[in-house]
Amino acid sequence: MPVFKTPFNGYAVKFSPFYESRLAVATSQNFGILGNGRLHILNLNPSGPISEFGFFETSDGIYDLTWSEDNDNIVIAAIADGSVKIYDLSLPPTQNPIRSLHEHSREVHSADYNPVRRDSFLTSSWDDTVKLWTIDRPTSVRTFKEHTYCVYSAAWNPRHADVFASASGDCTLRIWDVREPASTMIIPAHEFEILSCDWNKYDESCIVSASVDKSIRVWDVRNFRIPVAVLNGHGYAVRKVKCSPHRQNMIVSCSYDMTVCMWDYMVEDSLVTRYDHHTEFAVGVDMSVLVEGLMASTGWDELVYVWQHGMDPRAP
Amino acid sequence: MAMRDLVTGGAACAVPGSSSSSNPVAALASALIGSSSKTTQERLKELPTSIPTSSDRQYYPEAPTLPGSEFDQEHYLQPSAQGSDFLHGFRAADRGQFADVWDEIHHGQPPHLQGRASQSHLPKFEHAFHQVNSQLQPTLDGITPDDHKLSPRFFVKDLTWLSNHLFVVVPSFLSLGIEVHYESTNPSPSVTGPPQRVLSNFLHSFLDSSRGGIPFHPAPLPGLGLSEVDKQCIRDRTSIMARHMFADKSDEFTNAQVDALLCSLDIDNSVQAKGHIPGRFSELEDYWNESQGSRQAGHLPANGWVTEFDQHRAQQGDPELWALSFERQHGVNGWASEFEREQSQMAQLGQTRGANISDFAAMEQTRMLAHTLAQNNDPKFQNSKFLQFVSKMSRGELIIDDNQVKPSTSGDWAAEYQHEYNGGLSWADEFGHTKASANLALRWEFNHSLSHGPDRWVNEFSAEHKQPNLVEDQWVDEFSKLHIQDWADEFGHQVGEGAFGNESTDNWASAYDEYLNEQMATKQQSGGSRGVYVFSEMNPYVGHPNPLKEGQELFRKGLLSEAVLALEAEVIKNPDNAEGWRLLGIAHAENDDDQQAIASMMKAQEVDPTNLEVLLALGVSHTNELEQAAALKYLYSWLLHHPKYGTLAPRELSESLHYADVARLFDQAAQMSPEDADVHIVLGVLYNLSREYDKAISSFQTALKLRPNDYSLWNKLGATQANSIQSADAILAYQQALDLKPNYVRAWANMGISYANQGMYEESVRYYVRALAMNPKADNAWQYLRISLSCASRNDMFEACDSRNLDVLQKEFPL
Repeated sequence: MPVFKTPFNGYAVKFSPFYESRLAVATSQNFGILGNGRLHILNLNPSGPISEFGFFETSDGIYDLTWSEDNDNIVIAAIADGSVKIYDLSLPPTQNPIRSLHEHSREVHSADYNPVRRDSFLTSSWDDTVKLWTIDRPTSVRTFKEHTYCVYSAAWNPRHADVFASASGDCTLRIWDVREPASTMIIPAHEFEILSCDWNKYDESCIVSASVDKSIRVWDVRNFRIPVAVLNGHGYAVRKVKCSPHRQNMIVSCSYDMTVCMWDYMVEDSLVTRYDHHTEFAVGVDMSVLVEGLMASTGWDELVYVWQHGMDPRAP
Repeated sequence: MAMRDLVTGGAACAVPGSSSSSNPVAALASALIGSSSKTTQERLKELPTSIPTSSDRQYYPEAPTLPGSEFDQEHYLQPSAQGSDFLHGFRAADRGQFADVWDEIHHGQPPHLQGRASQSHLPKFEHAFHQVNSQLQPTLDGITPDDHKLSPRFFVKDLTWLSNHLFVVVPSFLSLGIEVHYESTNPSPSVTGPPQRVLSNFLHSFLDSSRGGIPFHPAPLPGLGLSEVDKQCIRDRTSIMARHMFADKSDEFTNAQVDALLCSLDIDNSVQAKGHIPGRFSELEDYWNESQGSRQAGHLPANGWVTEFDQHRAQQGDPELWALSFERQHGVNGWASEFEREQSQMAQLGQTRGANISDFAAMEQTRMLAHTLAQNNDPKFQNSKFLQFVSKMSRGELIIDDNQVKPSTSGDWAAEYQHEYNGGLSWADEFGHTKASANLALRWEFNHSLSHGPDRWVNEFSAEHKQPNLVEDQWVDEFSKLHIQDWADEFGHQVGEGAFGNESTDNWASAYDEYLNEQMATKQQSGGSRGVYVFSEMNPYVGHPNPLKEGQELFRKGLLSEAVLALEAEVIKNPDNAEGWRLLGIAHAENDDDQQAIASMMKAQEVDPTNLEVLLALGVSHTNELEQAAALKYLYSWLLHHPKYGTLAPRELSESLHYADVARLFDQAAQMSPEDADVHIVLGVLYNLSREYDKAISSFQTALKLRPNDYSLWNKLGATQANSIQSADAILAYQQALDLKPNYVRAWANMGISYANQGMYEESVRYYVRALAMNPKADNAWQYLRISLSCASRNDMFEACDSRNLDVLQKEFPL
């Protein structure tokens, strides 16, 4: 399956929701500790190598990105210098980014575009806040400041336009309704920092969290006293978790143990497949909405892999 | 609404305040701003579904179009004003009424609410606050080790005579590639890229250390010229990331890893950690104020709260429900847990906080300076950060290490580096390998158990590790001596030619690679690697009837190089002569040849595992490396084998040695016989290990009172003083050592280091040259010399230095 080599360390990879052959990769120099960043837009070719559609450079690392759900050319990047940059692929690099939003006072660690309302997006930052933005406004619509430590991830509910979840280093998962003044729910989901969360695409009340404690936990927000499932198997902190857009019970995760894992949280032996193709921390993973089973991952080994679930990512 | 449906499964929920329609605050907000959810929906429908992509699109700032946006107006436009308003209002509120309400709540409620309800008891809150404060302080002190004392200096490890820091001097402007990066929309150049290769490899070894959970002993780095902003980035980000990567390990371990990283990058971990905390508290306070104040928008807050409570009570007639609603708004555990969490978070993570907007301003400033510098030679740039950057680069000093697989000299390190860089352009290859062998520690085990038997690998492994050598950072001093103009010119020139981009970076990089190749070649010729003693090829003393006696005599006369030859003849003749090996080790050490010194000492210990002097020497050598475990092991076995103190040492302790235990034993020993200089020496060494330099100095001074003619003791004192940033005192101590033993090469070299640390580079050059005249084989001294020549802007002497032409150097720099 195709592989793409990035000059910097990979941080995030996302499939375009519009084109099955397009994906974007966020990378940072020096593991995101210091240096520049680069946003790659890649094209998959049915037969042959991945080609680069274009790239944009930033003066600090890029930690995450999200595609607009509304305009096929818009990509939003979460930058380590605290800025959020909006890129328009239809414009040449010289005219990009079309917007640079400077409100977060520290590294922006995640970005997520609202898939229901399709006019707004969230960013979460190490400044302990989550910010709500619209694509056309120069300032954030709202700041959600309740977490007491870095917010590593914020994810919209796939059904309810106003509901999202945030995962923080303060060991809580918080559920928010933007119509409410404060968070609706605080789930002390792990004993350690929570690095990622995602909603089940088929069960609106099911949310998944991934933590430094190496576990992934599945929660039902209607009854969060105990997790629905605890998925153990990663050897180090779980960096990102993603619910399958096609199968209700499937979850994909990547970890500092350098593996990407596919899980079925409904069955007892939850670990379905372990992909050991990265040779460094695996920090970005995504599943294509348009092609069932198509997966992409990136890591600090500067490689982007795209493969079909069940295949060997490294197979030529 | 949706959220409530989610939570309650759609069942009606009578809890007030949890949905927008029945929430008085939201209702009020809607009324004030005029955006009910209905109008919002309508507006949303009107929004175009496709976003125009031209950059000059219209903003729509006038009205909030998203639900919930009104909250932000209330929350964040004047948070502090509101907060203080609230507090003010609270104080002004009818206390009696308030207290009544409070009592009712208080009595009818589950105990966990008390904590959060402390809002009504400000003193309580303040008390909790102080608790946070007082608990935090010691932790902070705990995570700010003495490292900052070390950071701006050469870390003089030559406590006595066995030390191993390897300096590889890199030609100016060859080692480091600056990457000038133009952000696509930003026309001003941002010199944010650090010297990539060096840094990448370095950070990589940091990450590597996370896998095996082995302590991170970083390869000390050249002056990378990191700006304060860069440093802050590194500090903050590595701290946060380390917590993810080292989750298995204790906080101490994680802190130690980060400290080691920061320390060798010359980053002061203490400053920010201390500086930031007040901000944390004010943040906390704000947060508290905000989260409280926001609920009473439009009312006199405290009274409003009371009113609201009354309303709810009237409606429900049940305080439990109020509690429930409170819980909904504040979370299950509410304030009490919030506080606890905050507290523990701060204790754990307090030092990781940092960057703020002013840093970006600082970064911008650096960029501007860099930009101006390209066009302007004004001497006021002496204070610019960019110049510091350039200066650090041009010094090109590289102190390196073999944190790697092979037991290595500097050349081997270079090979390693080279390999990593060339072969490992894609790390995939290399790390397939790394991963295969799980981690470095395991590889070590494997290699060494093959070559030396498993019992020794631990020692050797720790012996291989080195401590960061820290690079002097006295910019002000330095600048007064440097030809800034030259650099500015050169830089301006390069920028003018547009040659400052990738091409020149590549040139530098390749020149650096060449240099490393050369280094490797030379080292391979000399064949020196740790633990393997290399004999001289021509030795006139082979065949001498009594080479040991001859060697001792020569050593006594201070003819160290001759003594080495004689002693080599002795150990060739009698490989089991521990005394021969020991004296050979000492001769090498005093001659400033650490590789050979350690090799001979290891031999001596092999032959005679209980020789006290050898054990002490090895303990000291590992202290020089700050290899605590190994050092403790040798020092402990010194105690164990000492006829007088052997009884003090419980044998079962030797399994797991802790610094505190060993230090305590030696304290006892010192009380037992306060007139035994050896014990005070060991104590001094131990305090060096824990970096309590003041105590170490006083121990050595005590020992010196008992043994005033021990020149190596004077050197130990000097080195300790140098390490605790008392270079001026150190010079006096070295002078004592030299008065006692004029041919003490190491003291001459240390003297040079102390002068260099004080920014007196010309002086330091004289001392290095003197040391080298006595022992031209002292490779370290050649490297120090090169650095000092560069700092003193005596590039004209590089050639003489590189060709090791002592005649020229001695003429130029007489002492």
